[in-house]
Amino acid sequence: MCFTSNFWSLTIDGLNNGFLYALIALGYTLVYGVLQLINFAHSEVFMSGAFGGLLLTQALIGSSNPTGLTAAGYVALGTLMGALVGAIVAFMLERVAYRPLRQRHAPRLAFLITAIGASYFLFSLAGHLFGRDVYPAPDLLSHKNLFSIGSRGIQAYDLLVAGSAIGMLILLDRIVAHTRLGQGIRAVAQDAETASLLGVNIDRVISQTFIIGGLLGGAAGFLFCLVNNVGYTMGFVPGLKAFTAAVLGGIGNIRGAVLGGIALGLVENWGVTCVRNSWRDVIAFAILVLILMFRPTGLLGERLGRSA
Amino acid sequence: MDTKHVIRAAVPIAVGAVLLAGCGGSSSGGGGNGNSNSGGKSFSIGYQGPLSGGNAALGINMVNGVQLALDQANAAKTLPYTLNLVKADDQGSADGSPPAAQKEIGDSSVIAVVGPAFSGATDAAGKIYGQAGLLIATPSATLPTLTDEGFPTFYRAVADDYAQGPPDADYLVKVAGKKKIFLVDDTTDYGKGLAAAFKAEVTKAGGSLAGTDSAPQTSTCVPGATGSTSQYPSEASKVKNSGADAVFYAGYYCDFGLFAKALRNAGYTGQLMSGDGSYDSHYISGAGAKNAEGTLLSCQCSSIADNPKGADFVTQYKAKFGQDPGAYSAEAYDVTNSIIDVLKGLGSSPTRDSVVKAYPSVDYQGLTKEITFGADHNLKVQTAFLYKVVGGKLKYLGDLTDLTK
Repeated sequence: MCFTSNFWSLTIDGLNNGFLYALIALGYTLVYGVLQLINFAHSEVFMSGAFGGLLLTQALIGSSNPTGLTAAGYVALGTLMGALVGAIVAFMLERVAYRPLRQRHAPRLAFLITAIGASYFLFSLAGHLFGRDVYPAPDLLSHKNLFSIGSRGIQAYDLLVAGSAIGMLILLDRIVAHTRLGQGIRAVAQDAETASLLGVNIDRVISQTFIIGGLLGGAAGFLFCLVNNVGYTMGFVPGLKAFTAAVLGGIGNIRGAVLGGIALGLVENWGVTCVRNSWRDVIAFAILVLILMFRPTGLLGERLGRSA
Repeated sequence: MDTKHVIRAAVPIAVGAVLLAGCGGSSSGGGGNGNSNSGGKSFSIGYQGPLSGGNAALGINMVNGVQLALDQANAAKTLPYTLNLVKADDQGSADGSPPAAQKEIGDSSVIAVVGPAFSGATDAAGKIYGQAGLLIATPSATLPTLTDEGFPTFYRAVADDYAQGPPDADYLVKVAGKKKIFLVDDTTDYGKGLAAAFKAEVTKAGGSLAGTDSAPQTSTCVPGATGSTSQYPSEASKVKNSGADAVFYAGYYCDFGLFAKALRNAGYTGQLMSGDGSYDSHYISGAGAKNAEGTLLSCQCSSIADNPKGADFVTQYKAKFGQDPGAYSAEAYDVTNSIIDVLKGLGSSPTRDSVVKAYPSVDYQGLTKEITFGADHNLKVQTAFLYKVVGGKLKYLGDLTDLTK
């Protein structure tokens, strides 16, 4: 009864979350693919993207009250700015935090500690620069129902998230499958040493991988903030969820990250249709553990090298 | 496989990081300023509350009220000695509270303390103050169970959450005519306490609950909290599909802002209401003025600007601190004056002990309320007030008891 009456609304909300998780999860999975590193600072790339997009749109909007095409333009600009800031932060992160370790052949654990340290550094810096208050996001999208699925009216935001996420995911899939850059990424993922012998510039490929992850994560940050406001610790939970999604789908696997994100988004919403919301993570993570018990490498397995 | 080892190592470390982030509290000593007057005898009144960190605004509202009361008493030579202020900063947290309390206790000139400001901080320091035999009179900690803990020197000079929860339900059901109510708490002690107080009254008032839910505080609002912001759209769907004509949220303003936004985005048009945790202008900016419009907020704090007795206080406060008094400024002023009132009867050398013995029988008519205590260390007369968001601002509607008569 409660399940059927809430089903469609929770499914659409779940898909919205799922697409955003997927975009962030790709950042984890791509970096894992080439470096075998869980980049825990990626949640801060997401947060930076949200701040970047928000500050730009706030500055552009000023005291005006944009609607229609102008508002849509601001959304597009904000998303691009979010992606840009995310890419810059991710690039800097690799340069400053990881590359020196790589050159000194530091042990795996050093990378992990660095990642956590970088995450604390970045969100504390954001707290210092932007204040520890929560920034309200501008209300740019119309909340009119365009059409309905079941009892749930579909609004501009639902289409925006689904459209931009699917667009970016397809584009990424094509890039990895068909371009020189994609070949490089796959080669490094399969066997970095051999790839370098064959003339692949590993450092450059790794940088580019971080940039791609940053673009997606930063854009997701702005899309997320449009309905959720922005604060310096906002990346914490979405980052953890996206990491979970990446592991669920099979870490290192691009399509797996997408599938894992959408699955997690749906499962955590369906799980609480009939019980209290405070059960959300209990149910979602119990399912995750069950799946990993039976498929320890995730739904689609680990395989960035052969992912296309 | 190498990769599996990495994941095995990564997960416990990630979990460790989460736990560390969860209990990250810092303590910093507050700036004490015992600016002693030259000549004559002097004693001190302490203040404990948040003077730095995310909730500092509230603590500063209060400490200014305390300062003003002391300055007026000193200028009028109400007492045969001067009173100084000793500030202790607890950042509003339970972690920061014991060190702040030790600061007050360690200063032998302190004979009474106004505070602690927050419920969690009071819970953490009540015992320490009790052992030291130092009076603590809070102007703002509303968690009902605080007075059940048996803290010997703790007096609550503010109504507890039973003063707002049940009348809130009465107001929604009887006055606003909202019969089906959806109740959401934020899983904090305060939120659960307020929700319980509210819930019991709904059916008594003739309404019914369309549903109840718990939505944990999110990491966007509270550093280290584990609630996911993505819960609010689905919570909004549940509310909408339940057919509720009002939502009562028991929690703090930041998360209420996110929730209100999600509700309005989902096209929910019912009445929104919350308690003193959400009584803050940041709620309006967080939700967006359009989404917050019409929200009802109750608070045990009165609006001093709408109080005919408060005009003088507002002028002097503004002259001294260059800003209008905020939430709980006048309450802190009243509590300080109630202590001064007690000191008048204690001669020229009051001690901690004589203050603790004399304070329970205080009967002081302040600007905001009459301060006189029952045997349970709570105010005899419990009052709360109602506000409404009108035109993006908090508008005073009146005393909840009068409104629900």
